[in-house]
Amino acid sequence: MNHLLAFLLCLVGFTALAFAMRRQQRDIFGRPLQSTTTYVLRVIGACALLLALRILVAWQGWSLGLVMFSGHTSITGGIVLCALVGYARMYARTLRH
Amino acid sequence: MVCFLKKGRRVNTDDDVRVVGRGIRQSMSSLHTWVGLLLGWFLYAMFLTGTVSYFKEELSQWMRPELSRLSQIPDQAAVAQRVADELGNIAAGGSQWSMRLPDARNNSVYAFWRTPARNPGQRGFGEANFDPATGKKVGSRDTLGGEFFFRFHFQFHYMPVVWGRWLAGAAAMFMLIAIVSGVITHKKIFVDFFTFRWGKGQRSWLEAHNALAVFGLPFHFMITYTGLVTLMALYMPWGENVAFKTPAERQQLTAELTAFIQPGKASGQKAPLAPVDDMVRQAQQRWGRDNVGRVTAVHPGDAAARVAVARGEAGRVSMSPQYMEFEGTTGKLLTVRDNVGAAAETRGVFYALHLGRFSDTETRWLYFLVSFMGTAMVGTGLVMWTVKRRQRLPDPGRPHFGFRLVERLNIASVAGLSIAMTAFLWANRLLPQPLEGRADLEIHAFFAVWALALLHALVRPARSAWVEQLWAASALLFLLPVLNALTTQRPLWRSVADGDWIFVGMDIMCWVLALLHAVLALRTARQEARSRSGRTTSRHAPVTVASGEGLR
Repeated sequence: MNHLLAFLLCLVGFTALAFAMRRQQRDIFGRPLQSTTTYVLRVIGACALLLALRILVAWQGWSLGLVMFSGHTSITGGIVLCALVGYARMYARTLRH
Repeated sequence: MVCFLKKGRRVNTDDDVRVVGRGIRQSMSSLHTWVGLLLGWFLYAMFLTGTVSYFKEELSQWMRPELSRLSQIPDQAAVAQRVADELGNIAAGGSQWSMRLPDARNNSVYAFWRTPARNPGQRGFGEANFDPATGKKVGSRDTLGGEFFFRFHFQFHYMPVVWGRWLAGAAAMFMLIAIVSGVITHKKIFVDFFTFRWGKGQRSWLEAHNALAVFGLPFHFMITYTGLVTLMALYMPWGENVAFKTPAERQQLTAELTAFIQPGKASGQKAPLAPVDDMVRQAQQRWGRDNVGRVTAVHPGDAAARVAVARGEAGRVSMSPQYMEFEGTTGKLLTVRDNVGAAAETRGVFYALHLGRFSDTETRWLYFLVSFMGTAMVGTGLVMWTVKRRQRLPDPGRPHFGFRLVERLNIASVAGLSIAMTAFLWANRLLPQPLEGRADLEIHAFFAVWALALLHALVRPARSAWVEQLWAASALLFLLPVLNALTTQRPLWRSVADGDWIFVGMDIMCWVLALLHAVLALRTARQEARSRSGRTTSRHAPVTVASGEGLR
């Protein structure tokens, strides 16, 4: 359960951080978002990641918690990237038709 | 024309090539390219076999199908006594035996023992797996199991162990240099964190390589550095040699590093070993019922016997020894070692981080997946070398020898290794039993198939070789669960019914990996067809597709 929660929080965190980047905003929304929205997304992303770390460390201690956190962030970062690539390809295909 | 390279800018003049003011990133880029390539094939093999070693215990269970799974962990104290009794018979007169007790991931007891040497200068050594229920040697097929991939990933095979470890160390050092130089070369790690440009040929390869490197960067750095730490005494023995000179000092050092207590001298007086189960029970009280890892006895049967009962590895990010030492003949507790010095503990933590044996199932999967990303990173790096250079070849249809060599070695080491590793599992199911030297024959089958893959890569056109080998790996992986169903009593449907998740997981993973190889084969074939049609329409069009480029 703690693993699942940490995994989901990392996923949310990286998604928010990806949406807070200018290049991804242009790719997904066609324009950069307002600076306030970008700022909020960054805060949400950072808080979600820190909360995931907090949960894992509280559960297993710093040594094991940090190892688990590192694993979750590596995998969820990759998943967010794959989702962005998939979205861009789907969007490009829709435009072509 | 002369070509100047100034901070990444090329300036062409007539007939000379000079490099002016080469920037740090260009230097690091070249370093990254060449240290990545020179031992890249070894690194790829080390990464892939190391990755599967995170499940070596499960793999070993699958490779010994005659040994039934443990629905619950048996009392470790009772098991220790059974196996100790058996070792008293088969290793009588030996200076040491050591057994790893069954746990959530091991359904057998692995033990090794030293026997009196037959000839002067020789050291007698034996090893076997024992059934926890009976204490007798397991009646399953003779195999090294997942242990083969584990040993191969740091000492290879068919060469002296020390040579293999030096080679693995050199490859790991190259990897460390490649990581540092890669980070400097990349420069925009954070700006390009979620960027991937699809369908841009060479650029896509670079993006894939970068993504695999960046997301797993903490792991890649950790696993490479800690890999070197595991064998640091071999690579850099000088400090240790200077600091610890006398036998007593060296013994102290050993005690800081391992729970294998040193035999010392036997008294020559025979005396039976006290009950081992009592000693294990004391350890269970200290560390938990299922958290005893290993029992080691020195000079069992002698009045000077001692027994060490070591703590298990689960949930503890350190390989530093924690053990209780008992007097062998009376069972009296002599010492409890709970901690080591700061330097030894640092080494113990690095060692544990590399092996990941403290992990629960979820963390083990995280280790596996990120390590798999590392394997893919090395693989994409190898293929990228040819992708980049093919565009610059004067005649891409007839590349020079060096290019052809790299291209063929890439095929055999990437696609060929998948075939060879699967062939090892096929050999486990197909070789008859009993058969003299069966475990060795499984290993010979692995290398024979790998050699055939290299031969195939050398004689076939590169692109066809990629496609054919990827399809071969896919087919072998897809059919492995079928072979398992035909040759054992544990087909998938029965494993599901019995809740035997190791066998279920193995079958499903085979199909997932078969699918992955099939997708890669299809994409490579499609790329091949595209480049062929491109050549037909325009014979002079630049060929930008390198062998295996369709792997993206």
